[in-house]
Amino acid sequence: MQAFEYANPASLQEALGQLGNKWGEADVLAGGTDQLSLMKEYLATPKRLVNIKNIKELGGIQNSKTGLRIGATVTLEELAENAEVRKAFPALAEAARGVSSPQIRNMGTVGGDLCQRPRCWYFRQGFGVLATKDGQALVPNGENRYHAILDNEGPAYFVSASSLGPALVALGAKVRLASASGHREVAAAKFFVKPANENAREIALLPNEILTEIIVPHEGTKNATYEVRQKEALDWPLATASVALKMKGSTVVSARIVLGHVAPTPWAATQADQALAGKAITAESAEEAAKAALADAKPLSQNGYKVQLARVAVKRALLEAVKA
Amino acid sequence: MVAAETLGLPLGAVALKIGDSSLPPSGASGGSTTVGGVSSSSRKSAVNALAKLFDAVAPSLGTTPDQLAAVDGRVQVKNDPSKSLTWKAACQKLGVKGISEMGENNQRNPGGLNSSGVGGVQMADVSVDTETGIVKINKAVAVQDIGLVINPTTAESQIHGGCIMGICAALFEERVMDQQTGYMLNPDMEFNKLAGIGDIGEIIVHLDITPEHDKRGPVGLGEPAAIALITAIANATANAIGVRVPEIPLTPNRVLAALERRNA
Repeated sequence: MQAFEYANPASLQEALGQLGNKWGEADVLAGGTDQLSLMKEYLATPKRLVNIKNIKELGGIQNSKTGLRIGATVTLEELAENAEVRKAFPALAEAARGVSSPQIRNMGTVGGDLCQRPRCWYFRQGFGVLATKDGQALVPNGENRYHAILDNEGPAYFVSASSLGPALVALGAKVRLASASGHREVAAAKFFVKPANENAREIALLPNEILTEIIVPHEGTKNATYEVRQKEALDWPLATASVALKMKGSTVVSARIVLGHVAPTPWAATQADQALAGKAITAESAEEAAKAALADAKPLSQNGYKVQLARVAVKRALLEAVKA
Repeated sequence: MVAAETLGLPLGAVALKIGDSSLPPSGASGGSTTVGGVSSSSRKSAVNALAKLFDAVAPSLGTTPDQLAAVDGRVQVKNDPSKSLTWKAACQKLGVKGISEMGENNQRNPGGLNSSGVGGVQMADVSVDTETGIVKINKAVAVQDIGLVINPTTAESQIHGGCIMGICAALFEERVMDQQTGYMLNPDMEFNKLAGIGDIGEIIVHLDITPEHDKRGPVGLGEPAAIALITAIANATANAIGVRVPEIPLTPNRVLAALERRNA
């Protein structure tokens, strides 16, 4: 780990003053479950680390008529156990529970889940977020069993690692970002971006910003998340789906289906949304929606199986959403 | 344990020294030979040391060395426990010299406490999600014949651990090498997958502890318990889905490919 300066601010304003204008000047530390791994591997070598865990205004979950506010430093365990989250947004609670080690759920934060770097093993071995060597992309001809099956024409091939991302996009959530010059709000769907070059990040956050909170609107949807994960213990999902359904009786008025771990960003499967409108959720309609969701999938050399797994995730998430 | 039992002392009264180059050479700790090798030499050295202690103590108890026994931290006359000395009092008879004895195995003819020949049966009960190709262990049973069981708790624990290793090998563990860069891509605990508590199901270990087994002496245990379950899990998976998955680990990718072949 490269030596760094440690800042321990007590207020958001103080913390924002500690950040730099370029990546590499200062990194934010919350749970540290990814940040410290990146630093130990020299994948992140910030000159300064800004601890935000002591900033009270970044914590807590508050419910209001318009929506649920989730502070950035709320842990994944707090989120998964919160009664209001479980009642109104089971898709989100289940996504948090899917982070499959109690240690990481208790240390890792909501903001950290959104801001974590990709798990692509070429990235983690030092070949950059676009995974290249001598200008050549390594993923298409390499070990790509866990890589993207959608939006994978390059230059990025990794899958978004965020567990909460797909659920937040499906629920129409907004992400609030603060900088020294003010606040801005970004739709969760726009927060995740496919980087176009090696210096770009996979999220909309700028180096001088801190993710402060997430707002999940009360839209009265039936929602659920299903993860296909090989292990019960610490493991990354192979494919996930989060669904949010506006219902009239047993008929779907509108649907939002978002896939995780299949593309460089949470993947909104709009074709599946359309396939469900006006229908009841049955094993057959769920199966059809699942097929529609993956219609555009173009697997790489080793990850064809993920198409099937993503289909299963969509189908099971839909059936779970309308259960009971 | 072997030294304590031989010397009639509680376990805590024996200090274990290991891993120091001033100590005499010993068998390797591995190759499933540790208990067989070390128990045997420990037993022999303790027997030799006890004989010397009896030589020193016998006159003061008014008997001959062959009439003495070491029991419950005392040295006593076999048929007359009222004639006895505490371990401490017995050792005081040695003066300042103490006793140093070695026990050695005959490499060519180990015999006795260093027997060979291993046997066991392991069975697996699995569930396969035929839509995702995920194999889950419901139950595994391991019956192992290790001859004389010196410490049942640690022997069972060893077999339990062997079963978990078998589950890891059958379902998860795989080294991924990149042909383009020569890098190992999963030198970590995230993608070099190991089973956790939720992944191992119920493991039942059974050891037969009978005089007949004891007669055979201790049999190596470390590695044998880690092998058979891999095959049992692969067999159970084939039994569940009606087609073989010919490669381990049995990943969703491979199980789905096998199911596709079956349905083709």
